[in-house]
Amino acid sequence: MFERFTKDARGVVRAAVEHAERAEASSVDAEHILLALLDREGSRASFALTSLGVTGAGKESVREAVAEARRRAGLSQAETAALAGLGIDVSEIVARVEEVHGVGAMSGGRKDMGWWSGRRSFGRGAKQILEASLRTALARGDRHIGDEHILLALTARPGFPAEILADHGVTHESLIRVLFGGGGEAKAG
Amino acid sequence: MTEATDLAERAGDRDPRVGLRAVAALRRLLEQLEAVQVRSARHQGWSWQEIAAELGVSRQAVHKKYGRH
Repeated sequence: MFERFTKDARGVVRAAVEHAERAEASSVDAEHILLALLDREGSRASFALTSLGVTGAGKESVREAVAEARRRAGLSQAETAALAGLGIDVSEIVARVEEVHGVGAMSGGRKDMGWWSGRRSFGRGAKQILEASLRTALARGDRHIGDEHILLALTARPGFPAEILADHGVTHESLIRVLFGGGGEAKAG
Repeated sequence: MTEATDLAERAGDRDPRVGLRAVAALRRLLEQLEAVQVRSARHQGWSWQEIAAELGVSRQAVHKKYGRH
Protein backbone atom coordinates (compact mmCIF):
# COMPACT_ATOMS: atom_id res chain seq x y z
CA MET A 1 0.00 0.00 0.00
CA PHE A 2 2.78 2.47 0.92
CA GLU A 3 4.33 2.42 -2.54
CA ARG A 4 1.33 4.40 -3.74
CA PHE A 5 1.82 7.09 -1.12
CA THR A 6 3.13 10.43 -2.30
CA LYS A 7 6.15 12.04 -0.64
CA ASP A 8 3.83 14.22 1.44
CA ALA A 9 1.73 11.25 2.55
CA ARG A 10 4.85 9.34 3.58
CA GLY A 11 6.03 12.44 5.41
CA VAL A 12 2.76 12.50 7.36
CA VAL A 13 3.11 8.83 8.32
CA ARG A 14 6.71 9.39 9.46
CA ALA A 15 5.82 12.54 11.40
CA ALA A 16 2.87 10.76 13.05
CA VAL A 17 5.28 8.14 14.40
CA GLU A 18 7.52 10.93 15.71
CA HIS A 19 4.57 12.64 17.41
CA ALA A 20 3.63 9.35 19.08
CA GLU A 21 7.22 8.86 20.23
CA ARG A 22 7.45 12.38 21.59
CA ALA A 23 4.17 11.93 23.45
CA GLU A 24 5.47 8.61 24.83
CA ALA A 25 2.26 7.06 23.51
CA SER A 26 2.04 3.30 23.33
CA SER A 27 0.89 3.35 19.70
CA VAL A 28 0.48 5.71 16.78
CA ASP A 29 -3.11 6.94 16.87
CA ALA A 30 -5.44 9.16 14.89
CA GLU A 31 -4.44 12.27 16.82
CA HIS A 32 -0.78 11.79 15.92
CA ILE A 33 -1.79 11.69 12.26
CA LEU A 34 -3.74 14.91 12.82
CA LEU A 35 -0.73 16.61 14.45
CA ALA A 36 1.48 15.42 11.59
CA LEU A 37 -0.96 16.85 9.02
CA LEU A 38 -0.89 20.22 10.81
CA ASP A 39 2.91 20.36 10.52
CA ARG A 40 2.86 19.86 6.77
CA GLU A 41 3.63 22.79 4.51
CA GLY A 42 3.16 23.20 0.77
CA SER A 43 1.15 19.99 0.44
CA ARG A 44 -2.41 19.34 -0.76
CA ALA A 45 -3.64 18.84 2.81
CA SER A 46 -1.88 22.00 3.92
CA PHE A 47 -3.55 23.88 1.06
CA ALA A 48 -6.96 22.53 2.10
CA LEU A 49 -6.46 23.47 5.74
CA THR A 50 -5.33 26.97 4.75
CA SER A 51 -8.35 27.35 2.43
CA LEU A 52 -10.62 26.49 5.36
CA GLY A 53 -8.94 29.07 7.58
CA VAL A 54 -6.83 26.72 9.69
CA THR A 55 -3.52 28.58 9.66
CA GLY A 56 -1.18 29.84 12.41
CA ALA A 57 -3.55 30.55 15.32
CA GLY A 58 -6.10 28.04 14.05
CA LYS A 59 -3.48 25.29 13.98
CA GLU A 60 -2.40 26.18 17.50
CA SER A 61 -6.02 26.02 18.63
CA VAL A 62 -6.34 22.52 17.10
CA ARG A 63 -3.14 21.41 18.85
CA GLU A 64 -4.43 22.70 22.19
CA ALA A 65 -7.77 20.94 21.69
CA VAL A 66 -5.91 17.69 20.96
CA ALA A 67 -3.84 18.05 24.14
CA GLU A 68 -7.01 18.75 26.13
CA ALA A 69 -8.79 15.71 24.67
CA ARG A 70 -5.77 13.52 25.49
CA ARG A 71 -5.99 14.73 29.08
CA ARG A 72 -9.63 13.62 29.10
CA ALA A 73 -8.50 10.04 28.39
CA GLY A 74 -8.88 10.66 24.64
CA LEU A 75 -12.65 10.97 24.87
CA SER A 76 -14.42 13.20 22.39
CA GLN A 77 -16.94 15.80 23.53
CA ALA A 78 -19.71 13.59 22.18
CA GLU A 79 -18.42 10.69 24.29
CA THR A 80 -18.03 12.92 27.33
CA ALA A 81 -21.63 14.07 26.81
CA ALA A 82 -22.83 10.47 26.50
CA LEU A 83 -21.12 9.63 29.80
CA ALA A 84 -22.63 12.73 31.41
CA GLY A 85 -25.98 11.22 30.42
CA LEU A 86 -25.12 8.29 32.68
CA GLY A 87 -24.18 10.65 35.48
CA ILE A 88 -20.45 10.25 34.93
CA ASP A 89 -18.48 13.47 35.07
CA VAL A 90 -15.28 12.79 33.11
CA SER A 91 -13.60 16.06 34.10
CA GLU A 92 -14.23 15.26 37.76
CA ILE A 93 -12.64 11.82 37.34
CA VAL A 94 -9.66 13.27 35.48
CA ALA A 95 -9.24 15.96 38.16
CA ARG A 96 -9.21 13.39 40.97
CA VAL A 97 -6.80 11.07 39.21
CA GLU A 98 -4.49 13.97 38.39
CA GLU A 99 -4.61 15.08 42.02
CA VAL A 100 -3.06 11.77 43.06
CA HIS A 101 -1.07 10.75 39.99
CA GLY A 102 -0.10 14.06 38.42
CA VAL A 103 -1.31 16.13 35.47
CA GLY A 104 -1.63 14.09 32.29
CA ALA A 105 -1.99 10.79 34.17
CA MET A 106 -5.05 9.91 32.10
CA SER A 107 -3.47 10.77 28.78
CA GLY A 108 -2.22 7.24 28.17
CA GLY A 109 1.48 8.11 28.08
CA ARG A 110 3.91 5.56 29.44
CA LYS A 111 6.70 7.96 30.20
CA ASP A 112 7.43 6.98 33.77
CA MET A 113 7.71 3.29 33.03
CA GLY A 114 10.04 3.52 30.07
CA TRP A 115 8.47 0.40 28.62
CA TRP A 116 7.93 1.60 25.14
CA SER A 117 11.38 2.42 23.97
CA GLY A 118 10.94 0.35 20.82
CA ARG A 119 9.29 1.37 17.61
CA ARG A 120 5.63 2.38 17.88
CA SER A 121 3.14 0.33 15.99
CA PHE A 122 0.08 1.81 14.38
CA GLY A 123 -3.05 1.55 16.49
CA ARG A 124 -6.30 0.27 15.03
CA GLY A 125 -7.70 3.77 14.45
CA ALA A 126 -4.58 4.97 12.66
CA LYS A 127 -4.50 1.84 10.48
CA GLN A 128 -8.13 2.35 9.57
CA ILE A 129 -7.39 5.92 8.52
CA LEU A 130 -4.55 4.83 6.24
CA GLU A 131 -6.71 2.10 4.72
CA ALA A 132 -9.59 4.55 4.24
CA SER A 133 -7.22 7.01 2.55
CA LEU A 134 -6.42 4.29 0.01
CA ARG A 135 -10.12 3.64 -0.57
CA THR A 136 -10.79 7.37 -0.92
CA ALA A 137 -8.07 7.70 -3.54
CA LEU A 138 -9.36 4.65 -5.43
CA ALA A 139 -12.95 5.91 -5.30
CA ARG A 140 -11.85 9.20 -6.82
CA GLY A 141 -9.78 7.48 -9.46
CA ASP A 142 -6.60 9.06 -8.10
CA ARG A 143 -3.49 7.03 -8.85
CA HIS A 144 -1.62 8.13 -5.75
CA ILE A 145 -2.48 8.55 -2.13
CA GLY A 146 -1.67 12.06 -1.02
CA ASP A 147 -1.83 13.65 2.41
CA GLU A 148 -5.20 15.16 1.37
CA HIS A 149 -6.62 11.63 1.19
CA ILE A 150 -5.32 10.98 4.71
CA LEU A 151 -6.96 14.19 5.93
CA LEU A 152 -10.23 13.23 4.22
CA ALA A 153 -10.14 9.79 5.84
CA LEU A 154 -9.44 11.35 9.23
CA THR A 155 -12.54 13.57 9.03
CA ALA A 156 -14.71 10.62 8.01
CA ARG A 157 -13.89 8.65 11.15
CA PRO A 158 -15.71 9.26 14.45
CA GLY A 159 -13.59 10.35 17.38
CA PHE A 160 -12.09 13.43 18.89
CA PRO A 161 -9.65 14.28 16.07
CA ALA A 162 -12.53 14.60 13.55
CA GLU A 163 -14.63 16.40 16.13
CA ILE A 164 -11.89 18.96 16.79
CA LEU A 165 -11.38 19.50 13.06
CA ALA A 166 -15.14 19.99 12.60
CA ASP A 167 -15.10 22.59 15.38
CA HIS A 168 -12.54 24.43 13.25
CA GLY A 169 -14.62 24.22 10.09
CA VAL A 170 -12.82 21.23 8.60
CA THR A 171 -15.32 18.50 7.74
CA HIS A 172 -15.36 15.82 5.08
CA GLU A 173 -17.77 17.93 3.02
CA SER A 174 -15.86 21.21 3.34
CA LEU A 175 -12.64 19.39 2.38
CA ILE A 176 -14.23 17.84 -0.71
CA ARG A 177 -15.39 21.32 -1.67
CA VAL A 178 -11.98 23.02 -1.39
CA LEU A 179 -10.01 20.08 -2.75
CA PHE A 180 -12.17 18.96 -5.63
CA GLY A 181 -14.71 21.73 -5.95
CA GLY A 182 -17.58 19.28 -6.27
CA GLY A 183 -20.27 17.81 -4.06
CA GLY A 184 -19.63 15.17 -1.43
CA GLU A 185 -19.77 12.21 -3.79
CA ALA A 186 -16.61 10.39 -2.72
CA LYS A 187 -17.00 9.36 0.88
CA ALA A 188 -14.11 7.73 2.66
CA GLY A 189 -14.61 4.67 4.63
CA MET B 1 -19.87 20.80 19.24
CA THR B 2 -23.37 20.50 17.79
CA GLU B 3 -23.09 16.72 17.94
CA ALA B 4 -22.14 16.88 21.62
CA THR B 5 -25.03 19.20 22.46
CA ASP B 6 -27.36 17.02 20.46
CA LEU B 7 -26.24 13.92 22.32
CA ALA B 8 -26.54 15.62 25.68
CA GLU B 9 -30.10 16.58 24.84
CA ARG B 10 -30.97 13.05 23.82
CA ALA B 11 -29.18 11.39 26.73
CA GLY B 12 -32.47 11.00 28.56
CA ASP B 13 -34.34 9.32 25.72
CA ARG B 14 -34.04 5.80 24.42
CA ASP B 15 -31.80 6.38 21.44
CA PRO B 16 -29.53 3.28 21.46
CA ARG B 17 -26.75 5.28 19.86
CA VAL B 18 -26.36 7.38 23.00
CA GLY B 19 -26.33 4.35 25.28
CA LEU B 20 -23.88 2.42 23.10
CA ARG B 21 -21.57 5.37 22.78
CA ALA B 22 -21.64 5.82 26.54
CA VAL B 23 -20.64 2.17 27.01
CA ALA B 24 -17.77 2.48 24.51
CA ALA B 25 -16.60 5.69 26.19
CA LEU B 26 -16.80 4.06 29.59
CA ARG B 27 -14.63 1.21 28.35
CA ARG B 28 -12.01 3.69 27.14
CA LEU B 29 -12.14 5.49 30.45
CA LEU B 30 -11.80 2.19 32.28
CA GLU B 31 -8.75 1.21 30.24
CA GLN B 32 -7.03 4.48 31.10
CA LEU B 33 -7.91 4.17 34.78
CA GLU B 34 -6.60 0.62 34.86
CA ALA B 35 -3.33 1.68 33.23
CA VAL B 36 -2.88 4.49 35.76
CA GLN B 37 -3.51 2.19 38.72
CA VAL B 38 -1.35 -0.67 37.44
CA ARG B 39 1.51 1.73 36.78
CA SER B 40 1.14 3.20 40.25
CA ALA B 41 1.09 -0.23 41.88
CA ARG B 42 4.22 -1.30 40.00
CA HIS B 43 5.94 1.89 41.12
CA GLN B 44 5.14 0.96 44.69
CA GLY B 45 6.70 -2.43 44.20
CA TRP B 46 3.60 -4.57 43.84
CA SER B 47 4.05 -7.90 42.10
CA TRP B 48 2.04 -8.82 39.01
CA GLN B 49 0.37 -11.49 41.12
CA GLU B 50 -0.82 -8.95 43.69
CA ILE B 51 -2.10 -6.58 41.01
CA ALA B 52 -3.89 -9.41 39.19
CA ALA B 53 -5.55 -10.55 42.40
CA GLU B 54 -6.96 -7.07 43.08
CA LEU B 55 -8.17 -6.72 39.50
CA GLY B 56 -9.72 -10.16 39.58
CA VAL B 57 -7.82 -11.39 36.53
CA SER B 58 -5.00 -13.87 35.98
CA ARG B 59 -1.38 -12.87 36.51
CA GLN B 60 -0.69 -13.78 32.88
CA ALA B 61 -3.44 -11.47 31.65
CA VAL B 62 -2.16 -8.42 33.50
CA HIS B 63 1.48 -9.15 32.68
CA LYS B 64 0.72 -9.64 29.00
CA LYS B 65 -1.12 -6.34 28.90
CA TYR B 66 1.28 -4.20 30.88
CA GLY B 67 4.45 -6.21 31.29
CA ARG B 68 7.87 -5.40 29.98
CA HIS B 69 8.39 -6.16 26.33
